[in-house]
Amino acid sequence: MNQKELRQEFGRKAEAVSAVVTPVADLAQAFAQAARLTAQQGGQCLAAPGWEADELAALQAACELEGLELITQGLRARTGEFHTGLTRAQWGVAETGTIVMESSSEELRLASMLSEVHVAVLPAAKLRADLFALEDELNRTLAGAPGYLAFISGPSRTGDIELVLTLGAHGPRQLHIMLLEEGS
Amino acid sequence: MSRASRRQYHQRLKGALDNTFLGQTLARFQGNYRGSRQAGFAGMDFEALAAEVGAAKDAALGQLEALYQQFKAQAEAAGATVHLAHDAAHAREIIADIAAQTGSRRIIKSKSMTSEEIHLNRHLEAQGLKVTETDLGEWIIQLRGEGPSHMVAPAIHLSRSQVAELFTQVTGEKQDPEDIASLVEVARQRLRQTMLEADMGISGANFALASTGSIATVTNEGNARLVTTLPKVHVALVGLEKLVPDLHTALKILQLLPRSATGQLISTYVTWVTGAVECAANGGKKELHIVFLDNGRLALSQDPVFSQALRCLRCGSCANVCPIFGKVGGHNYGHVYIGAIGLILTYFYHGREAAQELVGNCLNCQACKVNCPADIDLPALIKKTAGLVMAEQGRPLKNQLLRRVLTNRPLFHFLLRRAYLAQKPLAGGGRLIRHLPLFFAPDQEFRSLPVVAAEPLRDRWQRLAPKVSKPRLKVALFGGCLVDFVYPEQAEAFLGLIQGKDIQVDYARDQSCCGLPAAMASEEETAREVARQNLAALDAKQHDYVLTLCASCASHLKKYPALLADDPVWSQRARHLAAKVIDLASFLQKEVGLKPSAEQDKAVAYHAPCHLCRGLGVHEAPKELLREAGYDYRPYDDEEVCCGFGGSYSLDFPELSAAILERKLRQVAATGADTLVTDCPGCVLQLEGGLDHLGSPIKVRHLAQALAEAKDK
Repeated sequence: MNQKELRQEFGRKAEAVSAVVTPVADLAQAFAQAARLTAQQGGQCLAAPGWEADELAALQAACELEGLELITQGLRARTGEFHTGLTRAQWGVAETGTIVMESSSEELRLASMLSEVHVAVLPAAKLRADLFALEDELNRTLAGAPGYLAFISGPSRTGDIELVLTLGAHGPRQLHIMLLEEGS
Repeated sequence: MSRASRRQYHQRLKGALDNTFLGQTLARFQGNYRGSRQAGFAGMDFEALAAEVGAAKDAALGQLEALYQQFKAQAEAAGATVHLAHDAAHAREIIADIAAQTGSRRIIKSKSMTSEEIHLNRHLEAQGLKVTETDLGEWIIQLRGEGPSHMVAPAIHLSRSQVAELFTQVTGEKQDPEDIASLVEVARQRLRQTMLEADMGISGANFALASTGSIATVTNEGNARLVTTLPKVHVALVGLEKLVPDLHTALKILQLLPRSATGQLISTYVTWVTGAVECAANGGKKELHIVFLDNGRLALSQDPVFSQALRCLRCGSCANVCPIFGKVGGHNYGHVYIGAIGLILTYFYHGREAAQELVGNCLNCQACKVNCPADIDLPALIKKTAGLVMAEQGRPLKNQLLRRVLTNRPLFHFLLRRAYLAQKPLAGGGRLIRHLPLFFAPDQEFRSLPVVAAEPLRDRWQRLAPKVSKPRLKVALFGGCLVDFVYPEQAEAFLGLIQGKDIQVDYARDQSCCGLPAAMASEEETAREVARQNLAALDAKQHDYVLTLCASCASHLKKYPALLADDPVWSQRARHLAAKVIDLASFLQKEVGLKPSAEQDKAVAYHAPCHLCRGLGVHEAPKELLREAGYDYRPYDDEEVCCGFGGSYSLDFPELSAAILERKLRQVAATGADTLVTDCPGCVLQLEGGLDHLGSPIKVRHLAQALAEAKDK
């Protein structure tokens, strides 16, 4: 698969599991999108752990524009208050529409588990055809113990009542993937 | 086997069959699953991948202790504590001790079949601990005080109304059964708080990677992520058979597990935890305990036959495709572990008493086997497990009789001839017996039974044998008991089809029953003895083909090499014979080439015998022949689902046999077909008997008859 096919396949498969894929030109655009959709859904707080200082400055600006509070740590104490969790994803898997997220930091996990909406920024250059194509990278990540690694495909779901598919069981109700065009 | 326990089990089965909601839910579940699974595996070579996973699991099972040591070293280097529990009680103690030492009072759990296996909740609650299941289905059944009825969908036996009623009680607020999203919301709200307050999280694991000491969970709801993240202590309870050498093996399995479980290409969350990760609630680092459970697994992994059972990935597909599960649900088709694998594991993990009634409840229809992502020969293992139960309990009288009669062909055939005389007054001159004296066969009235033929095929053979001077093909016909003694007309129809085609057909007089009934009754030695007799009677070397009109016989003859693998005298002949066995449709397509007929005025539906479509892998040939013969062929969803016969199964479990048959016949009737065609005399017996009992005008024909009748037109 070439880059274009990877992108198409990833988009198709991610949408098939109810994720929303939005191509963005740069981080600023990703931040603006994340802030806007938070505000549109009535959220007042955005949790964004794990970003660099200069990136946070841009995100802070985007949040201010939408009138949102930005938090970057102490998420446990703020459970139920942050609407959106904004994180990076390290890789994307076209075959299944999966994002791979290194989340050894507890704050990263809380942002992607306890939010109503998870927004993940994924560089398009990090798309791979399938999990086997990522084996070396995954092995290196697992070897860096202790660690917590997650494959995420769509928002949380359950079929436990009469097999009726329902989104938003215990995790985020929505998963937005901002597919970043520029180099990582 | 005590009569009381048998009676009780049949009462439970009847209760389940009377539960209309359960029947509808399970039917919808199985129907949806079939479609989702097919879509999930589209474009993949399932058989090859399953064989690969089976081999990879076997390799891991061969070195469990080494993998455990490697895992322990890696995980402990990363800050985890690794325990090995010898049995259920030991595992419960270890976990209760961890709770005591860490001062954990409030425990949350994500779904773990292994914790169900050791009845963990009961033990922890008895210590005064508060245990809350967080998987929605598990929470529902915990609130109801039930066990899971499916390994993947534990509350599948319940309706939305029952859940709404339960949640109304739990919340004190009226819940709308039609609004499933709001029912899910109840669990989300309630459990979120419980999870935030918990001291300890207990999870299972789908994989344990020896190479890195990582454990992985495969889930959809996201509760396992919270259970492994929020509390200060994480305990993972893991069956030893979940150990795999490396990520590559795990990824191979992961390709098949979600697809087999629900048809999803991958589950929503696959989470890998390595060592003591960051946890603010515990002053920076999580306390992680990984408790491996042996409970018989190490011994089982060394068993040359049963180690296969440990390949199980817990996908639940063996239940999803099982016609029996589809009728009675998991509470009546398993103990803790559900479905075909449950019938086997119950004996090993929970003992004979829990397994003794369950283990006989298998049609041997092979649906589980061909769908198993770990390539486990489930029906064969079930029969072997039944053999173990029997060895413990002593062989029942019917097995002793079976052995005596089946190994003595002249006696067996004498009895069959006598049956003709005995049944005469019951049949009243017809071809079917509609009412049996009740003392003879209770619960058998769901179908009429065929009468034994006045003159068996073997007695007609001299008259019937084709006279061919220069044969281009030599065929040995294997009749099987039903064609020989009940339906010789099916063989006559076959001979009509090949008339004038220069095909010599021989019928060896000393051939006997193929031995499948003995194998079904876990009488392996009898099955071997009968196989030897047939090998002595049929000389495959002299023939191009060994043809049988019975799919069950054909697939069993194909098993002779495995059955006699260790027999120095007969193993080679068994291989020769098996290589030449062929079914009617394949033979006609390959060697005869019937002329296409003009359009017939008959609409036909087809029933695919289990041992033809799954046993021999023949799917399309019979239907192609019917179309070529000019019939208006009408498909239906359950064409390849068992008719419920299963030989002696229909005598042992008549209530289920009848229910499975009824579903099939309803679908056949809905096609509007006037004839139902199949190519196994056992299926003919069941289908014809059922239709006659219903007073249906639909006629049943063996494929040979249907083709012969079309030709005659």
